[in-house]
Amino acid sequence: MKTNKKSILWILAILTPVLLLICLAAGASGLGIPDWKTDTGRAILFLRLDRIITGFVVGAALSVAGVVLQALLRNPLAEPYVLGVSSGAALGASIAIVAGISFLGVFTIPLTAFLFAIATLATVYFLAGAGQKLSIYGIILSGVIVSSICSSILLFIIAWVPIEGLHSIMWWMLGDLQITSRPLLAAGSIVTILCIAGVWMLARELNALSLGSDMAHHVGVPTKLAVTLGLTLATLITSAAVSLAGLIGFAGLVIPHVTRSITGPDHKRLIPAAAIFGGLFLTICDAAARTILAPREIPVGVITAIIGGPFFLFILKKRRKKGFME
Amino acid sequence: MKDKALQFNNLFAGYHGSPVIRDLSLCVEQGEMIGLLGPNGAGKTTLFRCITGLCTPLSGTVSIFGNNTRRLTASKRARLVAVVPQELEISVPFTIQEIVTIGRTASLSRWTPPSNHDRNIIERAMVYTDVADMKHRPFTELSGGEKQRAIVAMAIAQEPSMILMDEATSCLDINHRLEIMQIIERLNIEQDVTVLMISHDINTTAEFCRRLLIMDHGRIVADGAPSKVLTEETLRHVYHCDVHIQKNSMNGSVTVLPAPRLTHGKSGQGIRVHIISGGGCGEEIMRRLSLCGYTLTCGVLNNGDSDTETARALGIETALEKPFSPVSQPALETAGKMTRETDAIVICGVPFGPGNVVNLDLAQQALDAGKPVLIMEGIADRDYTPDRIATKRVQDLMNRGAKSWQDLTDLLNMIPHTSIPQKN
Repeated sequence: MKTNKKSILWILAILTPVLLLICLAAGASGLGIPDWKTDTGRAILFLRLDRIITGFVVGAALSVAGVVLQALLRNPLAEPYVLGVSSGAALGASIAIVAGISFLGVFTIPLTAFLFAIATLATVYFLAGAGQKLSIYGIILSGVIVSSICSSILLFIIAWVPIEGLHSIMWWMLGDLQITSRPLLAAGSIVTILCIAGVWMLARELNALSLGSDMAHHVGVPTKLAVTLGLTLATLITSAAVSLAGLIGFAGLVIPHVTRSITGPDHKRLIPAAAIFGGLFLTICDAAARTILAPREIPVGVITAIIGGPFFLFILKKRRKKGFME
Repeated sequence: MKDKALQFNNLFAGYHGSPVIRDLSLCVEQGEMIGLLGPNGAGKTTLFRCITGLCTPLSGTVSIFGNNTRRLTASKRARLVAVVPQELEISVPFTIQEIVTIGRTASLSRWTPPSNHDRNIIERAMVYTDVADMKHRPFTELSGGEKQRAIVAMAIAQEPSMILMDEATSCLDINHRLEIMQIIERLNIEQDVTVLMISHDINTTAEFCRRLLIMDHGRIVADGAPSKVLTEETLRHVYHCDVHIQKNSMNGSVTVLPAPRLTHGKSGQGIRVHIISGGGCGEEIMRRLSLCGYTLTCGVLNNGDSDTETARALGIETALEKPFSPVSQPALETAGKMTRETDAIVICGVPFGPGNVVNLDLAQQALDAGKPVLIMEGIADRDYTPDRIATKRVQDLMNRGAKSWQDLTDLLNMIPHTSIPQKN
């Protein structure tokens, strides 16, 4: 069983560059690596490279955030958006779009989304942490409530904006991996990589917290600190992903489960594996999104759910037979 | 001087400001193995939570090996105290090895993989609890006994100086229960690990622990060797139920048994018994006999007597007299009618005075009709009649065939019964 787990990781390591190369060859302008020598070819190549990097970073971010939240909240249904981060970010982005704020250039919308996402978690956290002890149910419940409030304000905005604004908001909410600026991609990637490294450092605490916060306390984890740190990092990761690409569903819920069923639940292995799986998954989904109905593009969020849904059910069924998931 | 393993000074602790533990002071030496008994809600688990720092004292102090728990960091505390809970519910399929490794969380380096030293400790812990050969199996697939052994291995991997067992064997069958207890006992003896265990299994705890603490209402009400602490009186007081304590003079062990009851295959169904009691001495007998299926009558009793209240609560027909009055003729006649219909008469440890001595007429009447009369021993000590008439009359009854009994076990052996046909 142990060798099996290891060999899968090796296969993954070899497969990743190959798969990414295939994705590079896929695009709305036709299959094949674009000609490096012509200007158009170079432009298309860079465009595709940007998209692949964005897809990989966002996919990795969402998966790792999902892994962390599932461990911290001890809930298999937890995903990056469960604490209202998505609704908060969407609200921030819509406000920026509708109000036409642009003093920060291309950074305006992502940055507003990012700040709103952080503010949402802060609200959730303080609502839940009002008592002495930070309760998991308190966090989930206040997350759902804050999320609903943000969503209804968002619906109000959608109902009132003119049609051009509506289109931008909708596209943003469906998720879009076409990055508008390289510095934005760089900033988002750096935040994501740093935070993933951060939660990886928390792997043993996450392992202990998977046994429940009392047990984690007993084996010497300062639980309140670890939970706060984990939630903050997961939110930072999610916010970075959301501000890069809008709302992309499903990856953050499914990839952690699929990865766990392959590598086992030890976070030391699970976190890097989930990052690679998530990155690959979203990159491949995006390649499909831009080639299936070329030259038209399908929103990538649609593909993740269409591919991810049945795949998730398949894995779930297979693993339940083995007693892997309760 | 060696630090005490555990010291509580005037501890008050509880939740939301209301104390569950009230003014508790206690001292535990290193290497002791202590059983913590007491009814649900007595504060045992809260006491444990004070040790592990999950519950902060409202006032007073708790110190572990000389360290005040308020000033102890999480990782230092984890190297001193490990906890084995009743059960561990996890939804993710950690293997046993991974679970045991989690026990070393406080000692593992964040930057490097587990060292050889850590690996050895983990391996040894698994060997100690006999789970080494299944270390790659997922925890979720194990049986209850295996799970519990894995959790004990996790606690051992912490290398603690003290282990707290919070009903750690409650969900196990006797075989696995003893297995866990033996592992813990071995740790205690070989490695001088201090053990504190909460349990509802009084007999097993008494067997393994040299010191027992009994808690009730947030206080320690008894502390000492099992033979000293486990008395019928203490247990009745704490658990509000009757038990029978059997001491084995051969090996000094103590066994707690349920209070006497009709043995298997016997019943009081369809048998009428008249009870002569008063002052509360009949309560337990009424309760027991009606549980055994007897049809009871009672009297003559004064209204307001605690036996009267019990009889009323149990729906027992009673011949009544006014409060604080001597038994009158009409009341005695009512009781006489009951006596004619009854199959036996039981006289409890009721004190006899000039007011109620006429109740003995009923016994006389029953004896004359050839019905058994069972009288509790020691009439001389509860005779307050002039010229000790009651004693003389009881003596007379005994001469004519009445029998005497000492305790409930006796009584239940002597009282008429029907046999329940055994099903084949």
